[in-house]
Amino acid sequence: MKTKSFLQFVGPSVVMMMLLLAAPLVITFYLSVRNCAMEMETVKVEESTPFGLKETITQRAKLDASGKAVQSCKFVGLDYYRKVLGLDDASPLQDGPPPDSTASAAKGIPAVSEKAGNEFLGALRFTLVYTFVTLPFVLVIGFLLALGVNSANPKLKGAFITASLLPFIITPVVAALSIKWLFRDNGLVPYLLSFLDIQVFWMAQAWSARMLIIVYGIWHVVPFAFIVLYAGLQGVPQDALEAATIDGATRWQKLRYVTLPHLAPLIVFITLIHMMDAYRVFEPVIVLTQGAFTTSVQYLTYHILLQENNPFKASAAAVLTLIGIVFLLIPLLVKTWREQKKGV
Amino acid sequence: MNKKSVPLSVLIYGGLAFWLVIASLPIVWTAVISFRQYIDAFSSPLKWVAPFTMENYSRLWIDKGFYRNFLNTALVTVFTVTISLTVGCLAGYALSRYRGSMGFWLLMIALMFRAIPHSSLLPSFFTIFDALGIRNTYFTLIFVLVAINQPFTIWMLRSFFVNIPNELDEAALVDGCTRFQAFRRVIIPVMWPGVVTTGLFSFLLAYNDFLLSSALTNAEKMTMPAAIANSITAESEALLMQGVAGAVSITIPLIILVIIFQKQIVGGLTQGAVKG
Repeated sequence: MKTKSFLQFVGPSVVMMMLLLAAPLVITFYLSVRNCAMEMETVKVEESTPFGLKETITQRAKLDASGKAVQSCKFVGLDYYRKVLGLDDASPLQDGPPPDSTASAAKGIPAVSEKAGNEFLGALRFTLVYTFVTLPFVLVIGFLLALGVNSANPKLKGAFITASLLPFIITPVVAALSIKWLFRDNGLVPYLLSFLDIQVFWMAQAWSARMLIIVYGIWHVVPFAFIVLYAGLQGVPQDALEAATIDGATRWQKLRYVTLPHLAPLIVFITLIHMMDAYRVFEPVIVLTQGAFTTSVQYLTYHILLQENNPFKASAAAVLTLIGIVFLLIPLLVKTWREQKKGV
Repeated sequence: MNKKSVPLSVLIYGGLAFWLVIASLPIVWTAVISFRQYIDAFSSPLKWVAPFTMENYSRLWIDKGFYRNFLNTALVTVFTVTISLTVGCLAGYALSRYRGSMGFWLLMIALMFRAIPHSSLLPSFFTIFDALGIRNTYFTLIFVLVAINQPFTIWMLRSFFVNIPNELDEAALVDGCTRFQAFRRVIIPVMWPGVVTTGLFSFLLAYNDFLLSSALTNAEKMTMPAAIANSITAESEALLMQGVAGAVSITIPLIILVIIFQKQIVGGLTQGAVKG
């Protein structure tokens, strides 16, 4: 194919990705080092009351000719990054010139800083815990299911695959809500556990809320790993397995030395996809905890943007999120890169 | 595998059955309680059988106008899938036929875009769309979803196109077709299975999206997942039960979809794996 027609064919797709993915990313960087605030002006308000003329001095937003509030924007450097990372909390953004951080600590301000500080690191920590705790469960359970279905009665296979796809294709926010209702007070799971004398208020503490998010994560992704590995099992060379049997290999040895090496590329593939998706964990966090005990990086940006209404701080959180995913994926990207380079 | 011991079979079928219960329990139980009053849905002790009522559904669909959210979802998903596939097929086809290094770089960049957490785009989206006055429109949401979809779509379609022999379009070119005619009249007809599979995944992405839909639209224009967002924190019992009914309503089309298209979905999942 000629370069000219290649460009014509990929044109629409590339333009769309440039406009709605690449450009917004660049703008995010730009926003993250800026801040806009409404310009305020001091006005004297005279009111005539039954007790005579009353004068008050108040602040109000300055309006321009068209009646819109005047915004003053300025470059603030890494201030919002420090804020999101909890490095300095007595922010210069509202308080004029940056105060000496040690001095403000001495004055006993840190009570606030402990809550506001480390927002990002807290979110990142849970995101990574979520990613790396769910991954082995997803792979192992998916693999066991694949082995099980592979040796099951062929008549049952189709029905089983259809039914087990459900957690994977269901709307994540609906799935998280269903799990929440299942574990809610007076829900089904607490009722069943009460027979074992276990009483937990699942959504009321950090550890159990986190555990539910992780359970959701495993439940949601296992079908994907299962389907991919099951397809992989269909391609395991039968003659190698027979040769191993003739050589006296046990069931376990065949699994370990014939089947698993054959599935290795698929395991890498599942890992890559799962890491990308797990890093984005959002719905279970917003549904199961509303950010009360635990946040994820994606939830943090969303929260700062919609609840704190601060697109600049949200941009700083977004940029840090992007840096995180780049670090997480470098090894896997390099690997795909090499393979594709060979292929193309 | 023919000489399986009895204990092993028991273990296998027991394990598979256990997974089926786990996999379906949340949504099955949600469906069960969606036909109950609040006091029967969350009662202590739990009730296995309770009076049947459609009240939650009628309140949600008729009084709350959930049908409007359903229509919004239909509109957004239909357009997202159509545009994604049109744009994606062109790019995927070119990527499968072009031998230059630009194609490789485009694929790598798309792979990186595939990994972007969607909320990272929101601050810029808010700023740009507010400045242009186009936030909270169907148009914006559809194009955002298409763009988010593109990296995945072009990778998947490319992997389908690669399997179609070059000779097919070469022959068409020799016979005097232009590149576009070859694509349109020769390649697309044999590509239908791949297009359907990719379309299914585009559909799932648009249909299941909560983050972007809830952030970019409000009130009248919300899709179904965004509309049940308030049941996340629902304090009122009636509102909570409407959320339960909404959750089931959202899931039913997906279940129908899986039953009809099980083969394509499984094929699509493994396609990506085999081709990388």
